Amino acid sequence: MSDEKDVSAFERKTKRVFDESVAGLDAATRSRLTQARYRALEELKPRRSRAWGFTLVPAGALAAALLVWFTVVPPTTDVDLDVASLNDLEILLAEEDLEMLAEDLDFYGWLEEQPEFADAGNGIG
Amino acid sequence: MELALSIAERGAGLDRERALDSGAEIEAFLREVEARAYRIAAMNIRDRDEALDLVQDAMIRLVRSYSHRPSEEWRPLFYRILKNRIRDEQRRRTVRSRVLSFFGGTASEEEYDPIAEAPGASSDDPLERATSGDAMQALEQALKKLPARQREAFMLRNFEGMDVAQTAAAMGCTEGSVKTHYSRAVHRLREMLAEHGEEQWA
Repeated sequence: MSDEKDVSAFERKTKRVFDESVAGLDAATRSRLTQARYRALEELKPRRSRAWGFTLVPAGALAAALLVWFTVVPPTTDVDLDVASLNDLEILLAEEDLEMLAEDLDFYGWLEEQPEFADAGNGIG
Repeated sequence: MELALSIAERGAGLDRERALDSGAEIEAFLREVEARAYRIAAMNIRDRDEALDLVQDAMIRLVRSYSHRPSEEWRPLFYRILKNRIRDEQRRRTVRSRVLSFFGGTASEEEYDPIAEAPGASSDDPLERATSGDAMQALEQALKKLPARQREAFMLRNFEGMDVAQTAAAMGCTEGSVKTHYSRAVHRLREMLAEHGEEQWA
């Protein structure tokens, strides 16, 4: 127990002696340390600039790509796209077209038998 | 839309404030630690300009690489960087000394200790230092005679006031090793300073 107290007192003593030596540093050394600190803190500035750069570069690239896209490729409006899509859908889904073709087969047979159309079909006239 | 802009502006403002806070916080940390760090570096290197350069280098590396880390980690990180830089410098001096020795210099190849051999005070005898009333110089001379790991553990734990976990992080070893190194350092220092009968270290 006594030894522990002695150790503790010794540790306090060494700490105090060290702190006193730090407090006694001369002005020139303290000035150099201040300069060193300012120099180290300058490292924060480029990091902020780089951070902005990392944000701005992809944004600029995206803007340039969009500009090229809209310049080279003519824009198609949403309305046109919708109408075209609807027309295609109507044609694809229309069932009456095939029925109409079956009903008119008789008409096409009759038309082929007509003399004026038969000549035209043979390349005469 | 205005609400979104307002939120974005407020967010940017908070980011700026946070960056400023972080800058102010790390500056406060460096201000707090710089003088003691210099003193520790000077005790190891025994060269004022070299010690100042090492401290500056450690500061720069900390700010550059670790300023984004939680502030509780700065102290062990900073001293780890400083410790490594001190070791690098000591190795450089050792190599230089060995080269000089090879080419006919005076340094002994086997016994060379860069700290013990570094230019210091007028006497290396702890008794003489202590009796001269210069407690710090006596302590420095005694510290020079400790193994490097014990010296590191003592400086970080005692001088810098770091706890066992922080010291372990700074030294790159286990907490058990820190306790062992520190305990041996304290007892060895007490022996060296007290065996000469100096009252102020009793």
